[in-house]
Amino acid sequence: MSILEIKNLSIEFGGLKAVDDFSLSLEEREIIAIIGPNGAGKTTIFNMLTGIYAPTKGSIELNGESLLGLKPFQFAQKGIARTFQNIRLFAASTVIDNVKMAYTHKSSESFFESILRTPKMVQEERMIDERAIHLLKKFDLDSKADILAKNLPYGAQRRLEIVRALMLEPKILLLDEPVAGMITTELDDMAKMVRELRDKLGLTIILIEHHMNFVMPIADRIKVLNFGETIAEGSADEVQNNPDVIAAYLGGGYKNVNTNA
Amino acid sequence: MKSIIRKILPLIGVVALYYLIMYLKSIKVMNPYHIQVLMFAGVNIIMTISLNIVNGFTGQFCIGHAGFMSLGAYGASIVTTLIFGGFSVAPNLRIPVFLLGLLAGGLVAGAVGLLIGIPTLKLKGDYLAIVTLAFGEIVRATLRLIEPIGAARGMIGIPPYTNFAWVLFFVVLTLIVARNFIYSKHGRACIAIRDNEIAADAMGINTTKYKIISFVFAAFIAGVAGGLYAHVMSFIQPDTFSFVKSSDLLVYLYAGGTGSLTGSVLGGLLLTVLPEALRAFGNLVNWRIVIYAVTLVIIMLYRPLGLCGGKELPFLKINRKSLYEKSIFSRKTIHPSEISN
Repeated sequence: MSILEIKNLSIEFGGLKAVDDFSLSLEEREIIAIIGPNGAGKTTIFNMLTGIYAPTKGSIELNGESLLGLKPFQFAQKGIARTFQNIRLFAASTVIDNVKMAYTHKSSESFFESILRTPKMVQEERMIDERAIHLLKKFDLDSKADILAKNLPYGAQRRLEIVRALMLEPKILLLDEPVAGMITTELDDMAKMVRELRDKLGLTIILIEHHMNFVMPIADRIKVLNFGETIAEGSADEVQNNPDVIAAYLGGGYKNVNTNA
Repeated sequence: MKSIIRKILPLIGVVALYYLIMYLKSIKVMNPYHIQVLMFAGVNIIMTISLNIVNGFTGQFCIGHAGFMSLGAYGASIVTTLIFGGFSVAPNLRIPVFLLGLLAGGLVAGAVGLLIGIPTLKLKGDYLAIVTLAFGEIVRATLRLIEPIGAARGMIGIPPYTNFAWVLFFVVLTLIVARNFIYSKHGRACIAIRDNEIAADAMGINTTKYKIISFVFAAFIAGVAGGLYAHVMSFIQPDTFSFVKSSDLLVYLYAGGTGSLTGSVLGGLLLTVLPEALRAFGNLVNWRIVIYAVTLVIIMLYRPLGLCGGKELPFLKINRKSLYEKSIFSRKTIHPSEISN
């Protein structure tokens, strides 16, 4: 059974169809990439999958349960976590607090326990702290736990966004351009990290990316979008040789150019 | 042992401060007027901390905070003066009646905070500011119309229960409670909303809920501060809690530094005492408001984040490491860094 079932997802902004009939059936532990030129509607899909936009048509079902009409924080609580294209960390907070913040809805601290700082509450805080450190350690960020998130180098900020999303203990992770602005060596590290997320943590991943040499080796399936419509779907090879895809990326006149990039 | 000393030291400091001031009073270095200024400073510190929770830690913009203070002042005075009869309360019942009054003041302010928080905290930035501004004025205008509490003439005959010890006690209590709040999941959620509301939402934080919690909590504290104020003055009137009062509080907060409890204490204390202290310089009396304003400009020019922006005294912070210290109940805990793999 598929874990996430998206059917005919469409959204219009005042007559402009930003996404038209997007369907996706996601199996557990699958890595799916959504690619397409700028303005194709990729991030709009993510915004619908996290409740920021309400689709005009279509359905989103997680493990058979419809998520339509829920608020963004409820999507996150149900198990769909995301990162952002333009990094959105809690910049003025420490690295570890960034991670702990994603544990808010799971923590059992009540308001009065918090303001009285009862032994039970302190114990809960310790548990959250240990959990956060454990995750940071996995991604080599534990030595930076107490510095402010805004002072991290760029690549580490991207990693921290993923660690923060993992603190939600999600079923599905949406990565919006995880390697944007990264150099080649960082690209390889991120590819390794994404694979580990699937292999070790059993996550199902949807990622948006422009870097083809990052996407091709790690994605099980690729969906190509152009002007809101799905123009191709399949394995890396299939997609790469699809004339519509080549046309969308390079323009109609270049159908015979080899796109190894 | 070290950690216990570190925890008790600030409290010893507070007690020492109390006795120092009482000593200065007894040898007539400080007169009752000085003590009263310090009490107002204390009330302002509590108000500033309360405003800091909303504006500084949750990133909302409330500019009608005096409204909550007046609700607390009237709520508390109604209990102590109208219900229990003010000066005719038996001496041994005065403290319970006083505390009951403060609690009532806090609850009234908190309840109204909840009532206006639910519809308005969905608004962002400037819009919330305008609504809170209107709220402060509505409270003032309404209180001016209610005859049993003196309408525009104000309420008189409130017993002066508040003394310096009580103010100091409530400042310390507010600091502890506010600090505990900030270093809990609730405080973290508020700070997340302040830093990036979209990301907070995406991380499963019910932003409206935590904004309301912080708003109501702050309103409660402001209500208690209002109750303390009423029982210093013995007299309150609606116009005391006008927009001017709200903007004073904003000045204390931003001069002290948002997001810093130390800043709230410093801002509230300095800017309450400074205009009074300037009275001492004979010829300068007429210039004191100018000097006060220039001081503010200088603070904002040289410390744009406020005096203590982003900084905190050690005992107003809760260090992560303290989670792993052996507690006084000697529960054994291990810091994660001690675990080898």
